[in-house]
Amino acid sequence: MTLSDLELERYSRQLVLPEWSGAAQERLRSASAVVVGAGALGSPVGLYLVAAGVGRIGIVDSDPVELSNLHRQPLHFTPDIGLPKAENAAVKLRALNPEVQVDPYPARIEEANAEAILAGADVVVDCADTFDTRYLVNDACCAQAIPLVEGAVLGLSGQVMTIRPGESACYRCAFPDPPPPGAVPSCREAGVLGAMAGIVGSIQALEALKLLGGVGRPLLDRILQVDGATMEHTLISTARRDDCPSCSRVPAAAQSA
Amino acid sequence: MSRLDLTGVGCPLNWVRARLALEELDPGERLELLLDAGEPLRSVPRSARDDGHEVAVAGNRVTIVKR
Repeated sequence: MTLSDLELERYSRQLVLPEWSGAAQERLRSASAVVVGAGALGSPVGLYLVAAGVGRIGIVDSDPVELSNLHRQPLHFTPDIGLPKAENAAVKLRALNPEVQVDPYPARIEEANAEAILAGADVVVDCADTFDTRYLVNDACCAQAIPLVEGAVLGLSGQVMTIRPGESACYRCAFPDPPPPGAVPSCREAGVLGAMAGIVGSIQALEALKLLGGVGRPLLDRILQVDGATMEHTLISTARRDDCPSCSRVPAAAQSA
Repeated sequence: MSRLDLTGVGCPLNWVRARLALEELDPGERLELLLDAGEPLRSVPRSARDDGHEVAVAGNRVTIVKR
């Protein structure tokens, strides 16, 4: 066992979990995660992955911190207004856990850079706020056979699904067609309560930790919908599509990843 | 039998160290712990039993048979 005394103390409350173990902690330490978005969902995801001891985390965001972000993005503080979110997130996350390597990508993820940004990741957590980005990240993860945790929050409701490309339904299997432009209001127009984003982001972080640690049963072929107004949780079954343009050709060798 | 002196190590770090030591053992192998009186001697044997191991306590010496 090669966890240091400081690591044992830092992670002691998760190391005593019956579901967790020293081996799971070591798997986490040798893992790489990429979080797309350093906003309302990316804040709790980044915080919990880094706090739990994921070895390396990349965090992607092209926007600067704005005053109107702060009610829902707890990685960013009032004195940070104007700073690039990715860099500011990296500063905060390194202060939380200096054992973790944090790589900021102050860029918008696009077809041209997605492969390079996601390369080598053991899990990607999609905390983006547009459908375009969601489909792009899904397709890139399918192409590279990288497990993906998708999340979305709007108003007082949210949803999460976990994807193992080639093994379980991908985002495009579950939602083959993007909604027509303007049909779904963006976060900017519809509003969101920060605590609701915190719930959805925390579920995404837990899913990523389950995948990386090899514990529990992730939300594969299942979409979790959470209604924050009533606290009703609904699980919706979904399935792979044979003709899915994103994941139907993921090589079999990748399926056990 | 493996031995671990956990005197002076508080909860829950004593149980963390014991659990990691147990992870290295095969089922049926024994781990002997030395624990401080009070919370450690109350908590660690209980945690070991909760994890399904066989536990015997004699004074401040706790013997765990890995399940």
